[in-house]
Amino acid sequence: MFVNKHNSDLTARIIPCLDVAAGRVVKGTNFKQLVDMGDPVTLAKKYERQGADELVFLDIKASVDKQPSALAMVRDVAMNLSIPFAVGGGIKTMDDVHRFFHAGADKVTLNTMAVAQPELINQIATQYGSQSIVVAIDVNREANGDLAVYTHGGSQRSALDYRLWLQEVVDRGAGEILLTAMHKDGTGSGFDCDLLADFGPDYPIQVIASGGANKPEDFYDAIKAGADAVLAAGIFHRDEYTVADIKEYLIIKNIHMRTIL
Amino acid sequence: MKPAVIIDLNSGNLLSLENALNRDGQAVCRIQKPSAYDFRGDEILVLPGQGRFAFISERMDVLGWRSFLSDWLNQGGHLVGICVGMQILFEGSDEDPEAPGLGYFSGRCQHLKHPKTPMVGWAKLDSYKLNMKDQYAYFVNSYGVPDCDASTAKVTYGQPFCAAVQKGRVYGFQFHPEKSGRFGRELLQHVCQ
Repeated sequence: MFVNKHNSDLTARIIPCLDVAAGRVVKGTNFKQLVDMGDPVTLAKKYERQGADELVFLDIKASVDKQPSALAMVRDVAMNLSIPFAVGGGIKTMDDVHRFFHAGADKVTLNTMAVAQPELINQIATQYGSQSIVVAIDVNREANGDLAVYTHGGSQRSALDYRLWLQEVVDRGAGEILLTAMHKDGTGSGFDCDLLADFGPDYPIQVIASGGANKPEDFYDAIKAGADAVLAAGIFHRDEYTVADIKEYLIIKNIHMRTIL
Repeated sequence: MKPAVIIDLNSGNLLSLENALNRDGQAVCRIQKPSAYDFRGDEILVLPGQGRFAFISERMDVLGWRSFLSDWLNQGGHLVGICVGMQILFEGSDEDPEAPGLGYFSGRCQHLKHPKTPMVGWAKLDSYKLNMKDQYAYFVNSYGVPDCDASTAKVTYGQPFCAAVQKGRVYGFQFHPEKSGRFGRELLQHVCQ
């Protein structure tokens, strides 16, 4: 229960995440069977109307079909959205980063490349500011209880020590951490609140919780545990709840939320 | 309608801003140097900024904006500064103590007294102005001006700071109106009339 320790008017953010392949929003449990969910701009605007505070687009096939479709999509979204959005997937070099920012992205999200080439975090933070770089960390609680960091969409275990990696990411200038608890992802059993509680009220950057949101209570628990923002995908895409439904619940529970007048 | 001229200091994404201004058919252009535009004096200058205070301050000198803007402000010109583009209108910033601001508003930017910086996200504006009062605005900043007699809106992040300032036709927004949903777009269009 850290929420009120420091004076702050900041609201907790609700961030729908959209997986994109070849310029379309998709869903699927693996790369082979992707179901078309629609046009990114249409869906983005839908979430904006529902009160989404921010959006994240992850181009899950960026490495396969290169970047032209992703850049065109980013430009299209930037022209139509009036809330901030981050893009991730397929970013390998500073040139990629420049292209995404010039196409209108507000932030980039790095995961595999942050691990493979951590210097990129420094370079982005130096040139565009810390606020423009989100480092995504996929962490899994292994059978023996250890916390392991995974890359490549959760398919490869890295040799990194989870806590040292968190510290390194902060020291290199990341503006936010997007923490996905892989052992919770898709289980519908809520976020890993113990992991979130580790950060505490004096942690130097914001933490976005991801993985496991299935009902409004899960959002509440994550924020109470210390998440500054909560990211979710399926619960919104399947129309189980709107962003407005989640916010309504949280407001009743006395969590400070942005509402649209 | 007066044309909006965006000052492009090469600090990144200007597309959203350009798009927000463009909405109701306002003429919008972006220029890097004052000499690149034939000013009549009735334009609306828009000064966005992201990144370090010293970078913006240095660009002011390199591209010739510092003396141009001093004249512009002294002559009562219309200007809208956003984020670091608002901060540069003050005397300086603790982010880069050596880098001079334009000194149009008195005061300096200080590091926000909150352990989590940058401040990222939405906060409700405390303002007496009807077009900002109780609206949620999107902030991305680690520094802010704690107080200023030209303040028109405030928020608290560790400490209270100026979310918006205004003197005559010179407006400053610490938040990003171009990213603050419909409220922000309407505000931007209002101050660019």
